[in-house]
Amino acid sequence: MLKLTIDGQQVEVEQGKTILDAAKLAGKEIPTLCHHPAVPPAGACRICVVEIVAGDRPGLVPACAYPAKDEMEIQTRSERVLESRRMTLQLLLARSPGSDVIRQMAKEHGIKELPFPEQTGENGDDCIMCGLCVRLCQQIIGASAICFDGRGPDRKVSTPYKSQSDVCLGCGACAFVCPTGAIDPADYCPNPIEKIPNEFNCGLDSRTPIHIPFPQAVPNKPFIDRENCIRFRTGGCGACETICPAGAIDYDMTDEFVEEEVGAIIVATGYEIMDPSIYEEYGYGRYPDVVTSLEFERMVSASGPTNGELTRPSNGKPPMSIAFLQCIGSRRETGGKPYCSKICCMYTAKHTILYKHKVHDGQAFVFFMDIRAGGKNYDQFVRRVVKEKQATYLRGRVSKVFPRGDKLVVRGADTLSGTQVEIAAEMVVLVAAMVPSSGVRELSQKLRVGYDEHGFLLEAHPKLRPVDTNTAGVFLAGACHSPKDIPESVAQAGAAASKALGLVCHTRLSREPTIGVVDESSCNGCFECEGVCAYGAIGPREIKDKKGNVLATVAFINEGLCQGCGACAATCRSKSIEVQGYRDDQLFAAINAIHR
Amino acid sequence: MAVTTQLKTSKDLQELRLRLVKQREAKRIGISVCSGTGCRAHGSMELVEEFHRQLDAKGLTDVEVRATGCHGFCERGPLVVIFPQKIFYHGVKIKDVDNVIEKTIRKDELVESLLFKDPVSKAKFRLEHEVPFYAKQQRIVFRNNGKIDPAEIDDYIAADGYAALAKALSKLSPEEVIQQVQQSGLRGRGGGGFPTGKKWEICRSQDTEEKYIICNGDEGDPGAFMDRSIMEGDPHSVLEGMTIGAYAIGAAQGYIYVRGEYPLAVTNLSIAIEQSKSLGLLGDNILGSDFSFDVEIVRGAGAFVCGEETGLIASIQGDIGSPRQRPPYPAQSGLWGKPTNINNVETWANVPVIIDRGSDWFAAIGTERSKGTKVFSLVGKVQNTGLVEVPMGTTMREIVYEIGGGTQKKRKFKAVQTGGPSGGCIPESLLDLPVDFDKLQEAGAMMGSGGLIVMDERTCMVDVAKYFLAFLVDESCGKCTACREGVAQMHNILVRICQGDGRDGDVELLEKLGAYVKETSLCQLGGTAPNPVLSTIRYFRDEYETHIHGKKCRAGVCKALVSFAIDAEACNGCGLCKRNCPSEAVTGEKKQPHSIIAESCVQCGVCYEDCPFNAVIVE
Repeated sequence: MLKLTIDGQQVEVEQGKTILDAAKLAGKEIPTLCHHPAVPPAGACRICVVEIVAGDRPGLVPACAYPAKDEMEIQTRSERVLESRRMTLQLLLARSPGSDVIRQMAKEHGIKELPFPEQTGENGDDCIMCGLCVRLCQQIIGASAICFDGRGPDRKVSTPYKSQSDVCLGCGACAFVCPTGAIDPADYCPNPIEKIPNEFNCGLDSRTPIHIPFPQAVPNKPFIDRENCIRFRTGGCGACETICPAGAIDYDMTDEFVEEEVGAIIVATGYEIMDPSIYEEYGYGRYPDVVTSLEFERMVSASGPTNGELTRPSNGKPPMSIAFLQCIGSRRETGGKPYCSKICCMYTAKHTILYKHKVHDGQAFVFFMDIRAGGKNYDQFVRRVVKEKQATYLRGRVSKVFPRGDKLVVRGADTLSGTQVEIAAEMVVLVAAMVPSSGVRELSQKLRVGYDEHGFLLEAHPKLRPVDTNTAGVFLAGACHSPKDIPESVAQAGAAASKALGLVCHTRLSREPTIGVVDESSCNGCFECEGVCAYGAIGPREIKDKKGNVLATVAFINEGLCQGCGACAATCRSKSIEVQGYRDDQLFAAINAIHR
Repeated sequence: MAVTTQLKTSKDLQELRLRLVKQREAKRIGISVCSGTGCRAHGSMELVEEFHRQLDAKGLTDVEVRATGCHGFCERGPLVVIFPQKIFYHGVKIKDVDNVIEKTIRKDELVESLLFKDPVSKAKFRLEHEVPFYAKQQRIVFRNNGKIDPAEIDDYIAADGYAALAKALSKLSPEEVIQQVQQSGLRGRGGGGFPTGKKWEICRSQDTEEKYIICNGDEGDPGAFMDRSIMEGDPHSVLEGMTIGAYAIGAAQGYIYVRGEYPLAVTNLSIAIEQSKSLGLLGDNILGSDFSFDVEIVRGAGAFVCGEETGLIASIQGDIGSPRQRPPYPAQSGLWGKPTNINNVETWANVPVIIDRGSDWFAAIGTERSKGTKVFSLVGKVQNTGLVEVPMGTTMREIVYEIGGGTQKKRKFKAVQTGGPSGGCIPESLLDLPVDFDKLQEAGAMMGSGGLIVMDERTCMVDVAKYFLAFLVDESCGKCTACREGVAQMHNILVRICQGDGRDGDVELLEKLGAYVKETSLCQLGGTAPNPVLSTIRYFRDEYETHIHGKKCRAGVCKALVSFAIDAEACNGCGLCKRNCPSEAVTGEKKQPHSIIAESCVQCGVCYEDCPFNAVIVE
């Protein structure tokens, strides 16, 4: 370990580390521009210079690229360092007067005027020649699509002979790492720059191949999207492995298929928002400022695509007027969903409050049919929204949304005043219907659980058994069952969990005795019964002799799963199955008793 | 080459040498014709052909003609030296060949017109070492230039070539070789002045198998051509030095990086490598030992910055020619990340003579901390332009006046620029400074690689600073902010000043920027770039003031600040200026004082240069 003194403070670092590494450990801030933890250092921008006072040849050296040495004494803010840094910033500002990053840095260092002229207009170049993009593309990505062209003040980052690159992968890493945003891969990459849409933000922004899907993900660890990851596509990059301090990246890991035998399953597959593009009159997909409620939710979220700043997709400015159109796709007898999506009235009211928080002087409008606010304190909540003028509530449906100038006109009815209204809104939110998650039908079939025509899973009894399904051992919770909000989902989940626990915490299960029973002596193993059992309760059973040889394979009914419907009994050709309590002889006895 | 079989022992080499010496004794007279690039441009190769032709025709078979490396007195080429007397002829033309043969070769008589004549005393000098240009020189690096044909390894061997290598391989261990070099006090001749033996020791101590040797033949300073003449004229001295170095350090592969603009050097080095290899003096199992060393030539492509060691390494590796931050230094991690020892051409050329004659002999030449000799390229406004090799400690005055013959056209001496774009100027007041790494550094100048540019009253020091900065702006690699932006801004200020737009505070800003660029640059291109500016400000600040405040260039160089006039009292109306003026700006009657029409004058300075009566003045 090497011992250094930085600004009078002692710090220890390993051999091979730089002065910058040591400074970070000591908590000393040193500004950098051409440094990036995943890219080998170059010491090019000279912003990070520090003064070696003892322990090596005295003078100014770049902290990011100078190796730490035992007994070194460093000053990070001596007069000499600050003078040099100021001059470097003045020179960079003269070269790149339009760069916000440089302007900001210069301001922080107290630079007010320049002793030499700025490069004006087109001559001003935001590129500060830090070389991060070139080093990254050559040494990390391995594509070597860009390089330096020329030398001295006329040096530029370019492709060989300034031609369109035929090796550029379009990964956009150069733009990502550029400290001033000066590089635009579209200038030389003939392929469209691939931005991976961030699924959690409804595609409103992009994400990297290695990512944590959303902040609350469990486990809260990143995973690699192999289809887009450069390492898997070309063998290059590997920056994540280089930079991970825990050494946790393992490119050889593969998906595992895990088989577990369980006694109970709770289905909680949730919901999606219906795609409102089918309603062409609202212009979703055509006008950029028409968004869905889920997209709006992400836009105002601090972990969303704009870090919580609400901006119009068309011009990036905050919308001074916004219209929420409720019941888009819900409560429609034709051309949509007949049911009420239940949660929208409440969350739209919430959205109007969030909107006012973000845009203090904005005006919100809500077009509604009815307000469904039946939960605890729900009605008071909506009243407050209306009363405190957070929003103007208009009872009526919207017939059309169309552009006029740079705004969108929402034409609808106000049934309470009996007039047609037109609202010029800078943003329109379509509060679309709630639908079960895609893929739920296929899952249900595997689990042998019923679902209705909308895809909502069927409970065993709507009043008395709302979390059970007709299939023993499979329970429901949340929006996969029917539209519901968080308190109800949580309650239902608790109920389902107790039910599941109730199943598995006993050593013995009790159930109704009306179950099918197979007469193994007459069963010939045709398994027609297995095919008709809706509950997957029938499977094969091997009859073996003492030596273990299989003598016969017959049908076997799982007592826990059988619901006693009798379909197997009706199907069995050899009459080897009978339902207990409804055996032929019992039925005959009952019939005979009637005739007596 | 007489022999093409491999030499297997030092004894083989010794025997070959004796045979070759004997062969050469058979020739009664030797005619050495300088075939360095400068003299070639004056037609020296045609002279060689003509000599051969005429000697054949005249049936003179005991006369040898040799095309030799640069003799150094480039001002007076083509140069011919007749051996064994060492009669020195200059400016020899085709028409003189017959005379030389008939008078000097046949009858040992002198051709008077070809002898060097001192311009002041009018005395004529017969022998080379008597000529004032050569009298004070001590030619150790140039020991073979002028004597051997660089494309003939036999000449080199006959002149004791490779004796040092044989001695090292058979009698000295690698550590002993390093010790010799250390004790000699040899310091790097490329400009850095780092103790060579110390560098070798650091490289040797690195614990890896793979090591490299590099010869830096980039010679980027404008006006410097010392290394060129060594590579062209005595390539084996470089190869031998490198081989000895490789043996000492433990390297098996060497590279000579030659700047792209030196094709003759590349040719002669290539021939030397081939001939060396065929004799077993290079390549596998040198002189039958188990030491193997191979050399490859890599050509530069026009970048001054590739003379910087890490820029050079990048260039050899095929990377973009930009230096990198050090440490680690090349001696620890260089070419391909392996320990690499880089030395300048002249440094390598000193090595064989140190091993052969001993470190004590070498250390007896020069000053206390700068041992040996240094080759300078003496150029500019000096009478005797050429390559000068003097022992360290010789004063500037001796070089410029006694060897160089003083300024041209009786103009007043102003300064001598040392070290090219990395160096500074030495004014008249410091002319008695001895040439020595440390003394020059103390004076704010730098020996650099050995370029000496003499300047007179017709040189504008502000223009000189601007010239060097323009060069550096063009040659800066552009990697670090300090050099790329700082030097360019300094240049902009100087351009403004020379155009007449100088402002209050410009000099102070130049000093501030200069200090910044010096201490913040990544490599020594930027680190020394401000030197010409800071040095000229230090010694010629008044010129800057005159340019900025007076808006005048008294040297008559910066056209926007110059107006020429004719002193009516000095002018006798000869009309020379009127005839030569390209823009018809001179009026006057014959034998009457002439005058210059300011509106037509383009400030070309021809009248100022040509007037035999110095009647044209700068206002």
